[in-house]
Amino acid sequence: MAPEVTIYIDGKEVKTTSDKMVLQAANDAGIYVPYLCYHPGMKPYGACRMCVVEVEGAPGTPASCTLPVRDGMRVSTGSQAVEGVRRTVTDLLLSEHPQGCLTCHRVDLCGPQDICLRHVAVNDRCIMCPKNERCELKDTTRYVQMEQHSPLTYQYRNLQIETRDPFYDRDYNLCIVCGRCVRACDELRGDVAIAFTERAGQALVGTSRGTSLLESGCEFCGACIDVCPVGALVERDYKWEKPVRHQRTICPHCPVGCQINYEVDRRERVIRAIPDLNAPVNLGQACYKGKFGFNFVNHKQRLAHPLVRRNGELQEATWDEALTMAAQGLAGHRGPSFAALLSPRATNEEAYLLQKFARTVMESNNVHVASSSPSSALLEGLGDVLGYQAGTNPIWDLEQAGCVLSISNNVTEEQNVVAVPVKRAVRKGTKLIVVDAREVELTRYAHLWLRPYPGTDLALVGGMLRAILDEGLADEAFLKDHAEGLEALRRSLAEFGLERVAAETGVPADQVREAARIFATSRPSAILCALDNVPAEQQRPCARALAELAAVTGNVGKPGAGIYPLVRGANEQGARDMGCDPHFLPGYQPVTDEAARRLAEGTWGRALPQEPGLPLDQLLEAARQGQVRVMLLVGDVAAHYDGAQEPLEAALQGLDFLVVQDAFLSPAARHAHVVFPAETFAEKEGTYTNVERRVQPLRRVFKAPHVPEVQPDWWTLCQIARHMGAPGFDFSSAAEVLGEAARVNPLYAGISYRRLVESAVPTCRPSTETPLPTQVEYSEAVYHGLMWPCPEASHQGTQRLHAEGAAAGQGPEPTLQNLAMGRIQEGAGGARVQGQPCLVPLDWAATPRSHDPQRPLLLAMGRVLQQPQRETEVVRGKGLNRIQREELLEMHPEDAAAASLREGQSVRVIASGHTMPATVRLAPGLPRGVVAMTRLFGGLAVQLAASEAADPMARVPRLDVVPAQVEPAGPPA
Amino acid sequence: MTTGEALRKRVRQTLRDQPYPTVTVLSSLLAVQDDMGYLTEEAIQEVARFTGTTINEVWSVASFYLNFRFTPPGDHTVEVCWGPACHLRGAQTLLHDILGQLGLSGEGETGDSHISLKLNTCLGACTQAPVISVDHGLMGRMDSERALKAIQGASHPRRRERRHSREVR
Ligand code: SF4
Ligand code: SF4
Ligand code: SF4
Ligand code: SF4
Ligand code: FES
Ligand code: FES
Repeated sequence: MAPEVTIYIDGKEVKTTSDKMVLQAANDAGIYVPYLCYHPGMKPYGACRMCVVEVEGAPGTPASCTLPVRDGMRVSTGSQAVEGVRRTVTDLLLSEHPQGCLTCHRVDLCGPQDICLRHVAVNDRCIMCPKNERCELKDTTRYVQMEQHSPLTYQYRNLQIETRDPFYDRDYNLCIVCGRCVRACDELRGDVAIAFTERAGQALVGTSRGTSLLESGCEFCGACIDVCPVGALVERDYKWEKPVRHQRTICPHCPVGCQINYEVDRRERVIRAIPDLNAPVNLGQACYKGKFGFNFVNHKQRLAHPLVRRNGELQEATWDEALTMAAQGLAGHRGPSFAALLSPRATNEEAYLLQKFARTVMESNNVHVASSSPSSALLEGLGDVLGYQAGTNPIWDLEQAGCVLSISNNVTEEQNVVAVPVKRAVRKGTKLIVVDAREVELTRYAHLWLRPYPGTDLALVGGMLRAILDEGLADEAFLKDHAEGLEALRRSLAEFGLERVAAETGVPADQVREAARIFATSRPSAILCALDNVPAEQQRPCARALAELAAVTGNVGKPGAGIYPLVRGANEQGARDMGCDPHFLPGYQPVTDEAARRLAEGTWGRALPQEPGLPLDQLLEAARQGQVRVMLLVGDVAAHYDGAQEPLEAALQGLDFLVVQDAFLSPAARHAHVVFPAETFAEKEGTYTNVERRVQPLRRVFKAPHVPEVQPDWWTLCQIARHMGAPGFDFSSAAEVLGEAARVNPLYAGISYRRLVESAVPTCRPSTETPLPTQVEYSEAVYHGLMWPCPEASHQGTQRLHAEGAAAGQGPEPTLQNLAMGRIQEGAGGARVQGQPCLVPLDWAATPRSHDPQRPLLLAMGRVLQQPQRETEVVRGKGLNRIQREELLEMHPEDAAAASLREGQSVRVIASGHTMPATVRLAPGLPRGVVAMTRLFGGLAVQLAASEAADPMARVPRLDVVPAQVEPAGPPA
Repeated sequence: MTTGEALRKRVRQTLRDQPYPTVTVLSSLLAVQDDMGYLTEEAIQEVARFTGTTINEVWSVASFYLNFRFTPPGDHTVEVCWGPACHLRGAQTLLHDILGQLGLSGEGETGDSHISLKLNTCLGACTQAPVISVDHGLMGRMDSERALKAIQGASHPRRRERRHSREVR
């Protein structure tokens, strides 16, 4: 930490550190200095000169945001000279900004009831501006007390407002060229999808040639909107609505678990999502899903009443009727013919209750959290080696990595904020290795991009392990402690000769070796993995191999190292922690283990079934075969089951009895006998556990007024159980449920809802009476959450698994650079984590090649933000802009020759029931048998923005590898 | 090969051929403009790819400098100085007459795109004021008659060729 210094601001003594700028020191001390271009979290920029101060003994009025503190410095923030400069600056800003309302002498009279008729032209009024009443420019102009007079004229830029891009509008007539958006997109996101244009008098912000965001590389994360001080950048949905309050909760779209402040308007609608600036998970960032995907909570089609099936039709019913019917229907089928499925959006409390219900009331271990990723194999594989079925490190540790290996995942689209520190790290020199046949966003940043035959990850990772051990690049300390396991592993790696690996994966041996060397020598090295496209039987071994790669190179238990299992559902981790798994009781206690069962039976007061339940695919098959007769679904399970509805719906059709709890009448709910209307994430209290093992509280944002009868899933579950006469379901809040769960689940023993909420640390910032950026205003406290294992109430949680001392415990959290509202309290170091890594030998397995003569090739569909090397046309018509371009089909030259296709030839690609036109491009870097096509994310953004679905972000199309056929489009040119 | 592809090939070649020790976005843009006379959309994209940045950043640099142009220049460039020395020695009248002759109202290309007219704030030959330049050749002590003749002499179409040699001089 930088040395402490003392400065005096307006006579007040302020203690700070020498790395701060005067503005930051003042903010931290609660002293307000107006600013427009500075924003916490970004480097000071010094563009607006609003933050000027005077320094004793120094000439002029320097900008305080770029003025480093010096010990003993005396600063005055409000002298006459300073105020004069600020007014001049404001005057200049307003010379190009509609400003009638900012300096109008009637402003005190002005209001919704008394809109003036003559003072300001209608179009120029702030009231016509979407940012009215939440505008920093307006507040700041008032703050510096500009002279009020009848409105002046100003230079209107007369620019076309950009309303044709997905999700948000850009009106550069209102821009004050503070550069916050440009810096956010560059510094915070690493995207540079917008930049300054032109110079001097015409300087503005925009995209290349002023075209659409669709081809400029925008990921629609909204970071630029969140920092814009004026109405230039605004979300399109609820554009003109004003918030009456805001509440922080957790985004339900992915396991990052971003903390987001949701604004609510006076009609009780959630209108805007503003990621929290100081949340340790997302540090002010979000993504297209979190930022623009919350509107389903307000949706008209939400279920309002319980439904029961009468005469073959779902009809409205009272809660009591529905509960009685559900209880009766379920009571007849206790035992393994019952199964329960949970949506990964359900809370930990709901997950806990569902498995308790399944096990104690229904006497069945058939309980699952639905997942569209191979998450159980992935997490179990990690558990086999590392002892915990979870990720090892906090997300922002990635900024400190020396090397990141990103393998078979689509992190920028699926767990977006995890990619942010990776991109930032790469800029600072971190080596990135991407392993994927598909071209995904991170490949653009990769130092090394390996394109193996899809699904051959096991061979590739085994090859890397082998190279590392052969070349003596393993971690000495680790080798010493694990001599035994290591021998067995080494023996098993005899199968993984690099030539064989190269033949299997299609990646040349020297590239495998190079990847291994970079990974092993650039420590700390971290791994991002999702096992996309890995065949089912290889998933668990592959996860083990990845964990071993981390372990053998000494990359566990350190900042910047570790392994990040990228599951897809928001609370898949938590649901599994809570025992929504056919094999495990809460806390990964095996159901087959008698002592573990005893423990749970002691709390639950019921004997537990010993036979583990069926894996999900077998379970659905059993339902189709009629062995499973009754099901309970909590949440929109179908949306999170493998993206494909058919197997699930087929399983549901033949059931004797189906109960569904959901916010919408989903396709699955249409087969139900009883449907209970459920609250959404925004209405619930409870907890989610994210990809870092961080347990975070959900707070109730609002209560949707149009569906007053809906209830949270935990409540409904309790009611069903009570209607069945079952004891142990008398909970009056989610917090109470977590209280019981913590008694059964040793990983959560020290966690309580109260602790999560009450341990929030208030941030230091000037009074909210002064103009503040919205993100600063909303970040009034920092919720750190608690990372399991947290064995007791005095334990601070475990930031890093397998670490000792400070690295394990809640040491200093990663904080924003130049965090204005710093001084986040830091906890003491945590206890040492038990559990030693244990090496498991690997078995060679070949990935089956496509043998379908009709579709002999595999199509690896990729998606990226930008491809400057390709012709792209943005079509501007009615509605949204659209991308039009010729797609290229990358093909190995030998595959092309075999099919008599040539470079540049027009072809038809037939895959998953679609036919797509494309042009052949020979790509020797691809493995044989694989063709690849890469589309622009902009196309997907348009599709999502235009979607009619209630919750389009729950069904974002994924990048699956599918069998394909390629044929010439016509006679060769 | 599409014309776009041919163009990209040429741009890529130009970018690779830059002889300077430091290659930047700016040097790359200059190299392309030197070669083609202006910057096409493909050029922006290829420079982005070549320098490992985004098209927006390249555009940011390109649009900053008045010297970059995004539409094809005329076959010949005529620059008229309207700096202080030339102004005092009658540049206004000269400019007025040249504009009249070319049918222009300011900087830009003639309708037949044979001539690009540019204004210059000092061509660096003030002792010879008023000064114009035709295809980078300076002509001093101009009067309208001589100026128009010089421009006429240049205004037959010619094949566009490399304006500057790529060698560093
Ligand atoms: S940006 Fe602010 S000052 Fe400008 S019109 Fe909108 S509310 Fe008024
Ligand atoms: S929304 Fe687009 S332009 Fe804005 S910061 Fe994100 S990537 Fe950049
Ligand atoms: S658009 Fe907003 S954030 Fe960007 S420069 Fe203009 S005023 Fe600043
Ligand atoms: S990264 Fe995940 S949690 Fe964060 S906003 Fe996006 S979808 Fe939500
Ligand atoms: S110059 Fe300091 S905030 Fe803009
Ligand atoms: S002013 Fe015309 S050449 Fe200098």
